[in-house]
Amino acid sequence: MAYPTPTPWMNAKTEAQLAGVLLYGSVAAVLIFFYVPIFTLIAFSFQEGRYPTLPFEGVSLKWYGALFENSGARDALWNSTIIAVVATVFATVIGSAAAIVAVRYKFRFRLPFTGLSAAPLAFPQLLLGIVLLLWFSVLGRAFDFNTGLVTAIIGHVVYITPFALVIVAVQVFNFDATLEDAARDCGATTFEVYRYVTLPLLWPGIFSAGIFAFLLSWGNFYLTYSLAGSTRTLPTFVFSGIATGSSPLYPAIATVVFIPGILLVILADRMRRKAA
Amino acid sequence: MNGEIDRSWRDPELLVKALPSVILQTAFFLAPLLMTVALTFQRTKNFQLTWTWSLDTWTDIFTKPHYWTILGHTLFMAITCVILCLVIAFPVAYALATRLRAFQDHVKVLITFAFLTDATLKTFGWVLFLDKNGAANYLLQQVGFPPATIDILFTDWATMLGMVYNLLSFAIFTIYLSIDAIDRSLILAAYDAGASKFRTFWEVTLPLARPGIWAASVLIFLLAVGVFLEPKVLGGGKSPMSAELIRQTFETRVNWPLGAALTLVLMTVAVFVVLLFNRVYSLKRHMGPV
Repeated sequence: MAYPTPTPWMNAKTEAQLAGVLLYGSVAAVLIFFYVPIFTLIAFSFQEGRYPTLPFEGVSLKWYGALFENSGARDALWNSTIIAVVATVFATVIGSAAAIVAVRYKFRFRLPFTGLSAAPLAFPQLLLGIVLLLWFSVLGRAFDFNTGLVTAIIGHVVYITPFALVIVAVQVFNFDATLEDAARDCGATTFEVYRYVTLPLLWPGIFSAGIFAFLLSWGNFYLTYSLAGSTRTLPTFVFSGIATGSSPLYPAIATVVFIPGILLVILADRMRRKAA
Repeated sequence: MNGEIDRSWRDPELLVKALPSVILQTAFFLAPLLMTVALTFQRTKNFQLTWTWSLDTWTDIFTKPHYWTILGHTLFMAITCVILCLVIAFPVAYALATRLRAFQDHVKVLITFAFLTDATLKTFGWVLFLDKNGAANYLLQQVGFPPATIDILFTDWATMLGMVYNLLSFAIFTIYLSIDAIDRSLILAAYDAGASKFRTFWEVTLPLARPGIWAASVLIFLLAVGVFLEPKVLGGGKSPMSAELIRQTFETRVNWPLGAALTLVLMTVAVFVVLLFNRVYSLKRHMGPV
């Protein structure tokens, strides 16, 4: 294991400075990169004119008013919310249970179980949507139903459950199992152990999984696009609009959509830090 | 690992927790996937699926170079996207894990929010920003650049920008987790042994971060071969990628067997590429001087 001694091509101080510039610079650059389209949308939502170009013709809130009078947008908002709430409940419960199993238990077929439960994570969403659309079309012909709200929810649950699994699994990993044993030794029933020990300890993970699930579903385009039939959610409503030409409504929709997002992410972070 | 419990599948506690996930992914992931395979051997007549077994679809696919050109372009875009994401994400993940003590949580919140926000809206935001008369060119003009300096909207460059934008967070989080898990004492040991910061990074940190880099590459690659929104909205649909071709096959041509077969080809080729890289990578590790 003889390495040639590298000739020092710069002294340690310059090296450290250069590394600092590179590292902090990259974080700053990426944050700017991430927020360019987001701030562009927010800025354009307050402009007066019909076309999203600079300079503004004036600043106004009139597109927000137009948004709430637009029944298509209101329906889309409602559908997005329904789908996200139902999908979140199912995905979080199923994913959390599977995470406990995958991390804590040793059993036959553990690897196939974990693989199957996490597989949709690495499957392109559009293709998952298409494969499920085929499935629902064939089933729908046999059992006489159409794609709509319910099929969209099923699609979301399939896609989001693995995310919940991974997030909760991290929490389960740091979980001290002796606490459960202690409770059991003190005479707690299985239900009591869950109610008073397991769930409170895993709660931060489950809570962030739930928020993640909600936002993934709330902003989901690909699966809804394939599976919701004629039901529109905010993302598909926006897509159908921008495919035919941009309207000044969309930046306003975007800004409305951002608000619950940032609040929930901050809340999840608070919860996580309180637990740590 | 602490507290692993031996369980059998007859244990009701295991069943209650494991079965929902198994049923969900079997009924709505595995079964549809298998049916998709079966569908490729069927025929369509007057836009209607008929259950007659044949190889028509597959001979069609293997005789038309058109599909393979698009697939090649898709793979090229996906691999480029992986490389760009890794190069951009690594320093960010490294800084998050080792430097930004005070701001770490704030930066993570900001990245998470950007990741979880509706991709359609963010992509549309880029259209507004990059447009010839958009925000970017307006701002550049204010500081003295000629009009329409940035003219990449509706080209592959814009598509790539959108892909990197929408997938970068996966790389940042995955690599961050692997760097964060590195035992600090290994790095301190390297310093004690007289290694420079750079050399420690190169010979200790980077090799230990490899699992994260590898996981990020696979995840991003598999997701990048399936993008549809970016080539359509930012690329203007001018140079279609596989996902767009597949969508058209279903929606416009209503040819389910062909669409199903193209879906399978895309996934199979993608998984094959991953396995190929994995093989090259592990060979290099066994034969290399490390």
